[in-house]
Amino acid sequence: MTELEARKFADLEAIRAPTLGGRLARWRTALSNAWHELRKSRTASIGAVMLVLLFGACIATPWITTYDPIKQNYRERLQPPSEKHLLGTDRMGRDIYSRLLWGGRRLVAIAILAVAFGLSVGIPYGVLSGYFGGKVDTVAMRLVDGLLAFPGLLLYLLIVTLAREWKMEGIYNDLVLIFALGFAFMPEVARLSRSSVLVEKQKEYVEASRAVGESSLAIALRQILPNIVSPLIVNATVRLGYVILIVAALSFLGLGTPPPTPDWGSDLAAARDYMETAPLIAAFPGLAICYTVLAFNLFGDGLRDILDPRLAER
Amino acid sequence: MLAYIIRRIFYLVPVLFVLTVVVFTFVEMLPGNIIDTLVGTEGNNDPEVRKILEKEYGLDQPVYVRYAKWLFRAVQGDFGMSLVTRRPVSVELLSGIPATVYLAVVGISLSMLIAVPLGTIAAVKRNTPIDYTAQVTSLIGISIPEFWFAILCVLFFSLYLGWLPSSGFANPFEDPWASLKFLILPAAAVGFRQAAYTTRLTRSSMLDEMNKEYVDTARSVGLSESKVIFKYTLRNAMIPTITISGLQLANLLGGTVVLESIFAWPGIGRAIFEAILQRDYPLVQAGVLVLGCIVVVMNLLVDLTYRLLNPRVKLG
Repeated sequence: MTELEARKFADLEAIRAPTLGGRLARWRTALSNAWHELRKSRTASIGAVMLVLLFGACIATPWITTYDPIKQNYRERLQPPSEKHLLGTDRMGRDIYSRLLWGGRRLVAIAILAVAFGLSVGIPYGVLSGYFGGKVDTVAMRLVDGLLAFPGLLLYLLIVTLAREWKMEGIYNDLVLIFALGFAFMPEVARLSRSSVLVEKQKEYVEASRAVGESSLAIALRQILPNIVSPLIVNATVRLGYVILIVAALSFLGLGTPPPTPDWGSDLAAARDYMETAPLIAAFPGLAICYTVLAFNLFGDGLRDILDPRLAER
Repeated sequence: MLAYIIRRIFYLVPVLFVLTVVVFTFVEMLPGNIIDTLVGTEGNNDPEVRKILEKEYGLDQPVYVRYAKWLFRAVQGDFGMSLVTRRPVSVELLSGIPATVYLAVVGISLSMLIAVPLGTIAAVKRNTPIDYTAQVTSLIGISIPEFWFAILCVLFFSLYLGWLPSSGFANPFEDPWASLKFLILPAAAVGFRQAAYTTRLTRSSMLDEMNKEYVDTARSVGLSESKVIFKYTLRNAMIPTITISGLQLANLLGGTVVLESIFAWPGIGRAIFEAILQRDYPLVQAGVLVLGCIVVVMNLLVDLTYRLLNPRVKLG
């Protein structure tokens, strides 16, 4: 074995059975590549920084909050921001800063799970429908049209009402929301992945795989899927912002998780009664929603420019 | 074209089927049934009485029979009685439609008035501070929750300045001036968010058009820049803008629930929302069905208009 051959062999081995160090090194390259790409778009990098802060705060919530978010303290009601209470207290003397963080953690988790659910059902649906085509495709897409035509908010209203009537509380209520929001995202994902598959299907590499004798399913999932990821990532990012708006709107209407769970939407609704005397209470949850949605939108927008250079020129 | 229209109408069938099934299932899935409500209030839980009542309300029949009967009545506009007001549901809903349409149409028009000039300027002055400002503003606009924006408007214009009423409604035909005052804040809240979307859309479709060859041709024959922009480019760029605004209008009709309840606007969205709070489920069911149908039909009309405006689109 020459030295060159030996190195090649070692490389192959490294790919097959990566050591921890090798894995870390690859992750580092991947991250630095990603950052290099992100730098191309100012909106994407601003969005990325905002998102890192957001996720950081969500993960670190138990350690950086100073009070129990649902503990009432009637001696300290409606206090302005101070050293003791960074953002003041609400009408029940609860620490707004702690409530914001805990509420955000829950909201972001719901949004991510809902979008992940929509993707995990929608992608296989769309890819298979587009790949097989013919009658399967027609029927599958008619169904998607039917679901797409359903006005989103009304569907959520119905489902949330059902959850209320069945007295689903806490985690069950959240699960119902995740299911509803994810299900409503599914048709969009299905349609998007289908149309990308229709384009990819015509390309040479698919023909090559078929000539080698790979099965349809293997081609659809292993060859085509990785090539249609970028529009889906962009779509999912923007959708995360939209989902957060919807969840906040539902709980603002009083149809979300019942109090005292910290929740940006219902905290905002409760703060309406104190708008004249303590307008700041209504400002913080609103700002938090804005920040989060804006972060996702900026990141998604910038990502679209990076992943689709044709659009970036505009 | 006619064949296309017929086919599109035919496509509505599965959509409407999904809609009716969802709405029907919703009431079926509520815990308990109408008998519980009726018997419960009287305080007697006699199995005999239950049986008679079940027969009277048709609950002893299988679910598909009940669906068919319900659908048959619904098609004729008979949605039953409201459990709260004891008036026919159809009457309750019909009285809400004009207010909702009024708000949605004014809101969309307002958004077009702001967004089309803004988007055009942003596209023409691409990569200048004007463009960046327009882009950032519209991105913030689509990120602000509409209910929060509405609350801030109320806080500033009603409570702080005292210029406008914080909520309410007046009939524009009876008292136009008062009606206008009530309209401004809700319409601004609808319009602001829509304007953010439409600005982005107008900008990108203007940029699309400006890259096309006919624009170079128009310039090369010596037409003035304003003529090129306004007479040719903008006209073509408006096609997608108008289409999407139409779709947005359809969605607004179904989605003003939040704003209507903040501003106590007597529209169909608020009627549904209050029915949910009061557990008036026949009204909820019918309201969602009616709004859903409006959205579906509007989408179809918008799509057909798009084809008419833009004959280049292949009839697919």
